[in-house]
Amino acid sequence: MQLQILVVDDIAESRDALCAAVTALGHLARGADSGAGALALFRQQLPDLVLLDLLMPGMDGFEVTRRLRELSPTRWLPVIVTSSLSGEQHFIEALGSGADDYLTRPVSTALLDAKLRHYGGVLALQQRLSSLAQRQSDILDNILDPVLTLDETGRISELNRSAHELADLGGQALVRGQPARAVFGVDLAQLLELREVQVQRVGGGSFVAEIGASQWREMNRQHYTLVLHDLTRRRQLEQMKDDFLATVSHELRTPLTSVIGAVGLLAGGAAGALPASATPLVDMAQRNAERLNRLVDDILDLTKLEGDRLPLQLREQPLAPLLREALQAAETQAQRQQVSLLAEGLDTPGLPDLNIDGHRILQVLGNLLNNAIKHSPPGQSVRLTLSGKPSGVTVTIRDRGPGIAPALRGRLFQKFVQGDSGDRRTSEGTGLGLYIAQTLAGRMGGHITVDEPGDGAAFSLHLPAAGSVGELAPVLIHVDRDLQSRQRVAQWLSPHYTVRSAGSLEQARALEATEAIAGFIANPQDQGAADTFCAELRRLAAGRPMLLLGDSIDQDFCERVDLPWLAAAEAQAENLQQVLHLLLTLPSSEPTP
Amino acid sequence: MSEQLRRILCVDDDADIRLLLDYSLTQIGGYEVRCCADGPSALALAPQFHPDLVLLDVMMPGMSGPETLVALRALPEMQGVPVIFVTAKALPSDLEPLLQLGATGVIVKPFNPMTLPDDIRPFWEYGRGQRNA
Repeated sequence: MQLQILVVDDIAESRDALCAAVTALGHLARGADSGAGALALFRQQLPDLVLLDLLMPGMDGFEVTRRLRELSPTRWLPVIVTSSLSGEQHFIEALGSGADDYLTRPVSTALLDAKLRHYGGVLALQQRLSSLAQRQSDILDNILDPVLTLDETGRISELNRSAHELADLGGQALVRGQPARAVFGVDLAQLLELREVQVQRVGGGSFVAEIGASQWREMNRQHYTLVLHDLTRRRQLEQMKDDFLATVSHELRTPLTSVIGAVGLLAGGAAGALPASATPLVDMAQRNAERLNRLVDDILDLTKLEGDRLPLQLREQPLAPLLREALQAAETQAQRQQVSLLAEGLDTPGLPDLNIDGHRILQVLGNLLNNAIKHSPPGQSVRLTLSGKPSGVTVTIRDRGPGIAPALRGRLFQKFVQGDSGDRRTSEGTGLGLYIAQTLAGRMGGHITVDEPGDGAAFSLHLPAAGSVGELAPVLIHVDRDLQSRQRVAQWLSPHYTVRSAGSLEQARALEATEAIAGFIANPQDQGAADTFCAELRRLAAGRPMLLLGDSIDQDFCERVDLPWLAAAEAQAENLQQVLHLLLTLPSSEPTP
Repeated sequence: MSEQLRRILCVDDDADIRLLLDYSLTQIGGYEVRCCADGPSALALAPQFHPDLVLLDVMMPGMSGPETLVALRALPEMQGVPVIFVTAKALPSDLEPLLQLGATGVIVKPFNPMTLPDDIRPFWEYGRGQRNA
């Protein structure tokens, strides 16, 4: 790299010689005969490097070095001092004053060349770094969403261009150094757990923003970058979708009503007796029309559920009357399949009222009962059992059918999964029932579990008592250094479990002291020695269930410390929930892997 | 308006639904039925037909079901005549506002044409009880 070098020396002869040497090495040289002259030239045009003689009248080299540093605070300027004095003391003092290197006079050309190459290389690196930083800044400025970077203390360290349009709670434009609380009303820790936040604009107005938060480390310090995405447009689109759905619903249902009605009249004999050959055709039309109807209902429910736009009419009420209603509604289908419906525990005294939407509970029960009846061989029974405690109730619906195929076990509650044995024709189901049922149960603070009691299948609907939503959802502490892992796990486990996230055992201890915790999930990665971490975790858990979740450990380690383990690679929402359900319902406090 | 449920007025913009309603209520229910395709024709027919009960679709182009209800109620001949809304929406949150408007009841589509003649009786009796109160 060719450098622009400023040579400062009051003695013309040595100055010219050095300039010549520099030029001969392929660089450009300018000379100054004094400190003052150097500073003057410096102000005109910044050189890449300065060769500075230490002993000069007027301003000496030490002073010049200090002044040069002041004039170029952001850009690094290598200063090489020269001196013909013997001894190292003056060089030590020069390096202390800000010089980067020294050369003894007379200057060796070879040594000068080597040093200039070296500093040339460093300057090239610096230039690359500088252009990379500029590029990053340009990219960030091109992002339409405001992007903020906060330091560990929650203060703003960087803003992109869009972020300059945001205002703090006082209506003023954001400035570096401002704490998160002044802008969002909450501290950094709370902000990271939020998914949406209200944001002000300079000049008035505000919007709801979705927060995309990521955490990164630089030189042992944590930084947090937040991308704030305006949700206004999305909300408008959702409203349009709702309006569209309402129209589609009507448009689909009207012809369906005609088909179902007309075929119903035919089947009912209202148009006279049908020839025997017509009956199976009319039955087929009726069944499929009803199936289409259910599918339309399910799809509309699904779209609203997934968009979080399904309103629930919650009311405190006992469950038993709804169970009776559900059993009655399922009677027709049961009779048709020659399956008997048995009920147990409906008169159990002392069961708590639940805060539920009766209509939706009937939907869930209908789904579970219809599945049970569908899979029951003729002559068998489907048994519905109600039980409970002051904290909540459980309804178990058990059939004596073929049970659940192993391949389906983990996927039962997913969309469009149907359980059919090979020789059965495709069911009248929609494949969405269990998924909708689980989601509805979750919206009311409950969840559905499935067991295989040997012969058949048993589905249990668990619902919390009114006023205690969340009590039946156990509270767990999840310890993980990584922010994204914490967010992911919390999302997987809600709403069946309430997760309190912590970055370290220390934070976990603080959380544990403030509320009743049912269990612990922990990732030993980046938490110091894994053995020590596990020992301290065990002490904190004090007999409560623990689960290690992460990839920095292996089966051998977990056997050694005797703790159950789920590899992050295997962990998905369902596996994690199943493992936790197992751990939390074990009677003894010592977990088994 | 008679002491028995004899005459029923149906209002729905869909021709097939009108046919179903007519078929069901006439052939199976034995009632005397008139069908109209929109609010304005219903308002014109009602004073002459003197229905004992009205079945009214909610979503209609032009004059909507609720608008037709309000207009019907304003007619002197229609005082105390029960009006049942027929609608595809079934959530309690959808039904509430309809009842608030003064409808006697709501029947959800798809209805069962075999049982419709019986299904409407409780509404008529309820409405009748109100009239005599």
